[in-house]
Amino acid sequence: MAAGDLFVEMECRQFTKSGQNACGDDYQLLTLEKENRSIAVLSDGLGSGIKAHILANMTTTMGLHFLKSNVDILRSVETIMDTLPICEVRKISYATFSMADLRLGGITRIIEMGNPQYIQLRGTTEVPAMKHTRIVSQRWPDREVDCFETRMEPGDRLILCSDGVTQAGLGQKKFKFGWRRSGELEFIQKLIARDPEISAKDLAYSVAFQALSITPGKCLDDISCLVIYLRRPRVLRILTGPPFHKEHDREFAQLGAGGANDVIVCGGTTASILERELQKKTEIDLHLVKASGDLPPPGNMPGVGLVTEGILTLSRVCSLLESGQTENAPMAARAILNRMHENDVIEFIVGTKVNEAHQDPNLPMELELRRNIVKRLTSVLETRCRKKVVVRYF
Amino acid sequence: MEKIRLEICCGTTCFMLGADKLMRMETLLPEEFRERVEITGVPCLNVCMEESICRAPFVRINGVPHAQATVESVFEEIRKLLEKEEREDSE
Repeated sequence: MAAGDLFVEMECRQFTKSGQNACGDDYQLLTLEKENRSIAVLSDGLGSGIKAHILANMTTTMGLHFLKSNVDILRSVETIMDTLPICEVRKISYATFSMADLRLGGITRIIEMGNPQYIQLRGTTEVPAMKHTRIVSQRWPDREVDCFETRMEPGDRLILCSDGVTQAGLGQKKFKFGWRRSGELEFIQKLIARDPEISAKDLAYSVAFQALSITPGKCLDDISCLVIYLRRPRVLRILTGPPFHKEHDREFAQLGAGGANDVIVCGGTTASILERELQKKTEIDLHLVKASGDLPPPGNMPGVGLVTEGILTLSRVCSLLESGQTENAPMAARAILNRMHENDVIEFIVGTKVNEAHQDPNLPMELELRRNIVKRLTSVLETRCRKKVVVRYF
Repeated sequence: MEKIRLEICCGTTCFMLGADKLMRMETLLPEEFRERVEITGVPCLNVCMEESICRAPFVRINGVPHAQATVESVFEEIRKLLEKEEREDSE
């Protein structure tokens, strides 16, 4: 989500308890663009495996809905408790949770029940809550709900986690009481000191992986770390297709020369226009052919960025994102996917001139129209990857 | 002796019509040829438009475009150029 110059990056990384095929923790993220609001809910279901996952998923689904609809906290929690099925073994219904409701320029609320307390960091300094209240339900007197209010400033991070993180290593000589919140906090502070702009994705992964590594070879509990990072957006600009009017070539090419954190040129003709207008030369290492799968190998234009083939590569990126299976992507598609993940705003600069060569009847398959691919990419990037997408036609 | 410059188009149409094989040219050339040819990839040679349409894939050898290129036709062209060079050197 971006408001003015700010972007809320939300990412979660999980590891599943060894021997289980479903994670007993669940999370859901929601961006309410019109309200300048971002919501994150993380829940840890009782036990592990499928049963725990269902409990956690029911909790995150209800929590997200109640939070979004501004339902009273106590009523929300009681409804969640009343709804969760009762465990046959333990005779209780239970799932702990942490919910964060961030409003840009306003108050951020964190509601927790049973989960380790959240961490808010400004740089490496922990920020205490402005207000803390504890609510106890009369129907569920043993369940205490902590409500915190804080203000998120640009650059702040909010870290939520399940007890699989804070209790990692429990019982080991070095971690008698587990890694604990203090160990996690110290680890995160060191990471931020080393890399002050570490992304939410990398931070969540580092924390979860560290918790996993404390007990080598085995994951003793489901591990989840969710990070919310409020920061200036990183912009990836993708230029694809030649402009409709040749006289716009210069203006089009200039967009590849600056004004974004990362630039990708998708298409041979597009790259040629930039080469001509910016006096640059693309370097393509043909030794990469073996490793580049069934797509042409990527190249590099010094001072601009990555250069790839156009339609085939973008179509593949789109299919990979739509299917959610981005592993084993061919080299050029992988390079684009990595850059998309690293940036918050994806800006497509689309040239609309029809490429005559694509009408060659010898081509073994029909090439999809560039505009259609960009339309599909916009949809999948906005809905599944929570990116802000801007499309500009030339 | 100057190396022969072989540029292979990596554009969509060329790639789909056979340039993927041409990109592996370096491994297909005999060793004595390999040292005398410099092979590079180019995003697009821009020769597939207008009158050349339907004649992909394209390569450029020492600046001269060649249409409907195959590994065999490119190899043959390189061989001719190398022979010509040798003839000129011996004269």
